[in-house]
Amino acid sequence: MIEVRNLHKSYEGHEVLKGINFEINKGDVIAILGPSGSGKTTILRCINFLAEADEGTLVFDGKEYDLSKMNKKDIAELRKKTGFVFQNYNLFLNKTVLENVTEGLIVARKMNREEAIDVAMSALEKVGMALKKDSYPSQLSGGQQQRVAIARALAYKPEVIYFDEPTSALDPELINEVLNVMKDLANSGITMVVVTHEMSFAKNVSNRIIFMDEGKIVENTDSKSFFETPKNERTRKFIENVSIR
Amino acid sequence: MQMPIKELGIKMSERVIEVLSDSFLKILLPGIKVTIPLTIVSFILAFLISLIVAFIQHSKIKVLVPLTRFYIWIVRGTPLLVQLYIFFYGLPSIGIKLPAYLCAFLVFGLNEGAYMAETMRASIDAVPSGQLEAGYCVGMSYLQIMLRIILPQALRTAFPSLMNSLIALIKETSMASTITVVEMFRQAQIINGRVYQPFALYLEAAFIYLMFCSIVTFIQKKVEKKLNTYGGVK
Repeated sequence: MIEVRNLHKSYEGHEVLKGINFEINKGDVIAILGPSGSGKTTILRCINFLAEADEGTLVFDGKEYDLSKMNKKDIAELRKKTGFVFQNYNLFLNKTVLENVTEGLIVARKMNREEAIDVAMSALEKVGMALKKDSYPSQLSGGQQQRVAIARALAYKPEVIYFDEPTSALDPELINEVLNVMKDLANSGITMVVVTHEMSFAKNVSNRIIFMDEGKIVENTDSKSFFETPKNERTRKFIENVSIR
Repeated sequence: MQMPIKELGIKMSERVIEVLSDSFLKILLPGIKVTIPLTIVSFILAFLISLIVAFIQHSKIKVLVPLTRFYIWIVRGTPLLVQLYIFFYGLPSIGIKLPAYLCAFLVFGLNEGAYMAETMRASIDAVPSGQLEAGYCVGMSYLQIMLRIILPQALRTAFPSLMNSLIALIKETSMASTITVVEMFRQAQIINGRVYQPFALYLEAAFIYLMFCSIVTFIQKKVEKKLNTYGGVK
């Protein structure tokens, strides 16, 4: 469904991504793992065009996009098919929970109000936030805000949802409520790419692991063999280090 | 024949009271007819300018950003009084002759606009920027996100400072007296020319300015309580 080819990106002369290639198939739940600064987040930002790549091609549903020079039309077309969940939730602070989800449906997708509310409510129910529909983000906990952000991404029925460290900003106690929602989504067959430090999620929920180090993909394999029979020395060291905790 | 001191004092205070009561409405009237409308239209102009300037600076439109910086640099670096003189007394010598009221309106609008632009810019910058990216990700355009998400929050933050500018503007309109606009202060000067009671008359003018500013402060307090804080503490 999606293919990323030869993705390069540098910030101020520092090369963050050094030629990334991978595929996302329909129904995949891919966990991107790796030490901080290895370029995980940058991949997501580049393939959703929040950051401009220096070089790279994205094939989405058979159509090729040049990631280093995209026009507004391409960006709009691509973003219609994708959802994005941020580390810091990034909810619209002047909108209620319900409005956060309906806003883009009404303004960008030109959906009429009633329909948008229906769609939004069913998305909010999926993440267990329907009862809080009239609250403002500032009245919610981090975990609740992130669930609303997931509902916002979900409401557009995207073909894939990108998660950029969705639990990294959360109190340890709140991580599970978000992970459970994501697990439900994964089980319902939604294609997901998740940059994460949550090993249990990677191990138990995702079907594929991309392990990155220093701007390169070190290992790209199914999650079972990643954790049980890692091929690469760097991978073995990483698993050893994280399993001590 | 010389009047006793005490009697003279009573005579004088009677005279002062007479002057004050005669002049109060005469000073208040141009206040209502000139000072207030001039303040309001200048404030609206300043507000529009500040929005446009802040918008340009935030969106980083390449050609226009240096222009807005230049504008703010010039306006903030020169006195208001000098700006008024340039527009009213200076421009005619290069063939641009504008009515005094129009000069006052333009100068006050342009002047306060530069200060308010800085307020707006800071308020926009204070809105957590991830919301812009989130807006992009749900398919909204830059303009839609600015108008519907960022600006409402920025205006809420900017409101007290904007009211501060409004109050400053009320007082600054007194400078229009120097370019023949008969607003409140000019009227007080004219009356003083006839009756020579500067202390009483200028105190009276000051009192009316104070009244106007107090009304704005009062309204500001009321409105601030009503403004949506988006679930935050009032």
